[in-house]
Amino acid sequence: MAVATRDGGPAPAPVAGFLERHREQIYPFLFVIPALVYVSYFAFYPMISTIVYSFQTPIEPFTLFNYQSNIVSGLYGWIGNTLWVVAGALALQFALAFVIASILARSFRGKAAFATIALLPIGIATVVAGYAWSQILPNDGTGYANSLLSIVHLGPYFWLQTPSGALGAVVVADSWKNTSLVVIILVAGYAAIPRTLYQAAALDGAGPLRQFRYVTLPGLRSYIVVALLIRGAQEVNIFQLAYIMIGSTPQLLTVQIYLLYTSGEGIYLASAVAAVLLGIVGIFVGLVLALGSRK
Amino acid sequence: MTATASASARVDLRPPAPINRPPVVTAGKVGLYATIVVISLWLLFPIYVIFLLAFNETKYTIFAARPDLLPTHLTWSNLVSGLTNTAVPFLPSMYLSLEIAFIVGALALAIGIPTAYGLSRLPTSLAFGLTTIMFIVNMLPSITIAIPITVPFIKAGLYGSPISIALTQELLALPVTVFLLVGAFQGLPKDLENQSRVDGAGRLYAVFGNLVPLIIPAIVASFLLAWMLSWDESTFALILYNPTTPTLPVQIFLTVTGRGNPVVGVAFSFIATVPVIILVAILQKYLKGEDLAAGVRG
Repeated sequence: MAVATRDGGPAPAPVAGFLERHREQIYPFLFVIPALVYVSYFAFYPMISTIVYSFQTPIEPFTLFNYQSNIVSGLYGWIGNTLWVVAGALALQFALAFVIASILARSFRGKAAFATIALLPIGIATVVAGYAWSQILPNDGTGYANSLLSIVHLGPYFWLQTPSGALGAVVVADSWKNTSLVVIILVAGYAAIPRTLYQAAALDGAGPLRQFRYVTLPGLRSYIVVALLIRGAQEVNIFQLAYIMIGSTPQLLTVQIYLLYTSGEGIYLASAVAAVLLGIVGIFVGLVLALGSRK
Repeated sequence: MTATASASARVDLRPPAPINRPPVVTAGKVGLYATIVVISLWLLFPIYVIFLLAFNETKYTIFAARPDLLPTHLTWSNLVSGLTNTAVPFLPSMYLSLEIAFIVGALALAIGIPTAYGLSRLPTSLAFGLTTIMFIVNMLPSITIAIPITVPFIKAGLYGSPISIALTQELLALPVTVFLLVGAFQGLPKDLENQSRVDGAGRLYAVFGNLVPLIIPAIVASFLLAWMLSWDESTFALILYNPTTPTLPVQIFLTVTGRGNPVVGVAFSFIATVPVIILVAILQKYLKGEDLAAGVRG
């Protein structure tokens, strides 16, 4: 019917026909332009500004002072703490998310309720989650975790006493808040793995662990890459949750940027730390993409 | 001898004997439900703590050496003092957050729908490149964007305005919106658009009049997701806030990090959280990993 209508109309002139074909390529691009203008101005321009500011002071057009000054203040330590949290939180989130997603990949009574519960933390604002966890794992030997442990006559524990304890508390709280997103992505991945592969693996004598290694992991590869990229980048960005729970001890890159920015030091010192943060995100993304695309 | 061997070989080829199934399944079921209960408790406990903090008397929560694990001393006073406290204006903050979240949702659709349509119709390689750009935007650390963007906002006299905060939060919402909607557009048969154009509809009408109504569920989901991202967002909002009225998350952040009574903040955040939790429950079926994953898989 559509073809008949087209044939019935006047035949297009050759030039108009060429334009028409050309337009097929250009027209969809016009729809994308607003978004490109928007992200150029609001994302990439500030990103480049950060890098430029990081090499400037109000009086010098190019200097390494901001970096040197931050290194003296402990930049390497902040990087280390940030990497510690990123690695710990990713490991915990993925471990939990694999368990939850593998459960949601089955069918069982009560599945809808469990799926809803698994997504609930997304609905809790980050600052609220941070405050709740600061009351669960506080530094003064009180808090809800100690209340729970006192039932079995354990504790009290001073959770944030050591740097690794404090960073570990942040890892736990952040994993609670953010595992759901990984679950969403992995559930989609599980749905894409044919059930017959598991049956075949079971017939070949593969137990749950080997099935996970040889069927689940390869099947989920692209989904894992996506989840790692999204979560890893956001993890480097972790800020309010950590600041509410542990303040500046130990210090993370984001918290330091915020404190430098708000302390009246101007944007130059803060930009140097921000540029380092950008660099870490860039390296992380590069690594994940390189590992993810390797066959 | 040979007959027996071939018989046993035939038996080996069969799927696992069904007789063994029932007890295995039952043991597995117990393990499954035990795991589900443990994970559910882990996921629900902090939410329960938020409830206790909001509605238990403070001497049994934040001022207790052993915070009470049961809601034994319920009170509205935390909430009431939040509502009546003029030093920390929560209600204006809540209105501001609502306003910004709606702007972010509307902008996400205004920019996101055309973008997603364009991406779904562009040649694959070009679309992949542009999707990658959106993906990178999604991964940039907010705080590294927020600080330099203050400069043009101050110059334009927009610093602290709802629109300035919405425009920055859109960086988080737009990529997700685009990923969701590209998937929806790609799911439509291409003939639909061609047909409506052949039937005399203009290109724009073919897209917005004929295609868009077909992906309303994805559009609603995108709007709500963008709305939620903004409602929760606190980094851009913290760097760009107007000191007299910060957004709700920033107000809570400032309150619990040392300005005022944190319980008031938590009482409010509990109230503010309830609609979002309901939203998540509704959105559950739309929150598909395939759509999020579409970005990188191209």
